[in-house]
Amino acid sequence: MEKQLNCYFDHSATTPLDLAISEWIKRTQGEIYGNPSSSHAVGRKAKNILELARKQMAEVLGCHSKEIIFTGSGTEANNSVLHSLLFQEKKHVVTSAIEHPAILSTLQHLEPLGLSYSIAGVDSRGKVNLSEIEKLIQTDTGLITIMTANNEVGTIQPISECSDLAKAHNIPFHSDAVQALGKISIQILLEQVDLMSFSAHKFYGPKGVGCLYKKENTNLHSFVYGGGQESNLRGGTENIIGIGAMALAAQLAVEQIKETTDHIKVLEYQFITGIKTIRDDIVFHGNSKSHIPGLISFAAPGMDNQKLLTLLDRENIFVSSGSACHSGLSTPSKILEAMDISESLNLSTIRVSFGKHNTDKEVQYFLSVLKKIWMG
Amino acid sequence: MEKVIVGMSGGVDSAVAAFLLKESGYDVEGVFMKNWNEDDDCSAEEDYKDALMVSEVLGIPLHSVNFSKEYWDNVFSTFLDEYKKGRTPNPDILCNKEIKFKAFLQYCIDLGADKIATGHYAKIVQSKNNYELHKGEDANKDQSYFLYTLGQEALSKSLFPLAALKKKEIREIAKSENLSVYNKKDSTGICFIGERDFKTFLKTYLFESPGDIVNSEGQVLGTHDGLMYYTLGQRQGLGIGGGHGEKNAPWYVSDKSIEKNELIAVQGKTHPNLYHKKLEASQLHWVSGGMPDLSQSYGAKIRYRSQDAKCTMEQISKDKVELTFQEAQFAIAPGQSVVFYDGDICLGGGIIDSRSN
Repeated sequence: MEKQLNCYFDHSATTPLDLAISEWIKRTQGEIYGNPSSSHAVGRKAKNILELARKQMAEVLGCHSKEIIFTGSGTEANNSVLHSLLFQEKKHVVTSAIEHPAILSTLQHLEPLGLSYSIAGVDSRGKVNLSEIEKLIQTDTGLITIMTANNEVGTIQPISECSDLAKAHNIPFHSDAVQALGKISIQILLEQVDLMSFSAHKFYGPKGVGCLYKKENTNLHSFVYGGGQESNLRGGTENIIGIGAMALAAQLAVEQIKETTDHIKVLEYQFITGIKTIRDDIVFHGNSKSHIPGLISFAAPGMDNQKLLTLLDRENIFVSSGSACHSGLSTPSKILEAMDISESLNLSTIRVSFGKHNTDKEVQYFLSVLKKIWMG
Repeated sequence: MEKVIVGMSGGVDSAVAAFLLKESGYDVEGVFMKNWNEDDDCSAEEDYKDALMVSEVLGIPLHSVNFSKEYWDNVFSTFLDEYKKGRTPNPDILCNKEIKFKAFLQYCIDLGADKIATGHYAKIVQSKNNYELHKGEDANKDQSYFLYTLGQEALSKSLFPLAALKKKEIREIAKSENLSVYNKKDSTGICFIGERDFKTFLKTYLFESPGDIVNSEGQVLGTHDGLMYYTLGQRQGLGIGGGHGEKNAPWYVSDKSIEKNELIAVQGKTHPNLYHKKLEASQLHWVSGGMPDLSQSYGAKIRYRSQDAKCTMEQISKDKVELTFQEAQFAIAPGQSVVFYDGDICLGGGIIDSRSN
């Protein structure tokens, strides 16, 4: 067994920087340092990069440049959408039980400020219940927000149907697409939403930069106040290099989408068939027919996930329990709870998320390590 | 190479413990342990960050494990039950018994560790066919009191790398090794309460039942907020000041009456009701596995910070001993542990049930 392999299978947490992106950053960061708000040549150069990036991002997503708002993260994009409700007449939000904390925790924190919300449940495969969403709509519902695809189990949500529902009730619709870009086709979905959040580091771009798509004429209140950047919606001198890198990464991700997903689907198939030959009691979560390619959430009954993560970490295999918090500890996943998965399965669940750089050799190594752990 | 897993808390002690083991050539890994789940589930973040930075400097892997459920079931519930009975429990002793040297130890063994290590100030001495628990070198920091529930099995699988060091030296090592926690404040109080106000904390779990503070004659002196908030021997916070009665001396809690929900206070620290010569203890545990020779006299600590007091022991039932001190002891508190020493050797201990004269 070759222990020197470094198997990073946690691409839903974050991805490594694409080589082309890191080279672009290296080339550009020394040269472009101006403040895009400065009118002199140095500033104009920076402004040019910023607006080229906006154009590029818009092309990738299939929208207008002015519909792109750059943010500091996907989380920030989500926050800005929810925060905006506080300034609107209709302050009620309908969402789902499997949203990222960037939605659910933000709602909790905004509640004392006057926002209210209702949470729709999901089925055992992690798909949101449409009829429940409809029932939760109130006269003062000002937003429906349903993620494009779930980060822990990978289930793709019925965005078109949700969007139709929202349209029928004349309610703006937001979708957190942080897990989706580069893995499922975004352009068609984007046409159906009013607001959509993205994060660069999930598609081989840098950390600390994200963006919000805001369909023209959608109401959005300023989130960070200051110098009026991003059409007065997000103050603060722009992270030019990060933004440029994100746009480039988005373009690459979308250009390579078929190649990437074909590749990781093969790895996924190899892994699933392989693991089934090691153990026949593996429980796979989510919806195998409609999920993010390369994301596999499964429970191996009888071993808690912290122990399995530790044993894999030792062998240079990096996966996650899906619900790890900032102190590296796993707690029962709220998403699996919402899917009505038993606590014992919940606590023995790990998430594997393949990326474009992974190889079948790595998958075989992973399987051999799992076999060693389980079979001795 | 022997594999040792160090319980890393994010503090300076466990950091230096890990460093020393690495220096002596062990295959060292760190495990960050969390025993308490806050609402946000992630409150241990600061300590985890510190543990992580240390592990990166040392070049050791750091894993995490959550024992919140075990802690709640086996430590915290007992802690609350004891308070309900008006006793003063010591959850840190129970945590060592149930979590660190049981659940955590087993977890590490399952992960293939030969031994575990912690940053405790105590010594494990291997004699012919026995493991002894000794006081740590730093008398001021000695933590053997908290470890008296350890048995032969746990001691045979544990290392206390700080045994021979003083706190000052530990901080110096940490500094010279560029461990960022070298000047981190020592944690105080009970781990799950941390820096929070104890009263506010307890109130969220236990029903508060105010009553009277009375003197030994039953005269009402004032009111208390709930017996659970007071410890025997406590002087501060009675709210009745000094100045009552003839003397101007401060008042001390001498007893609690659960039946009457009364707190009994006496005036002056030398008041005889605050001192007892005897106590009964049960839930006994002997480090060696067997009871020591009761014809000898031993030292006993009735609380962490007390000096060893000379006493004799008499077995009164299978799991109960009566201690007779040479000198009466101040504020013996039921629920606390009494720990026995033969010089520097920690023999074991038990939980105080009652005291008498």
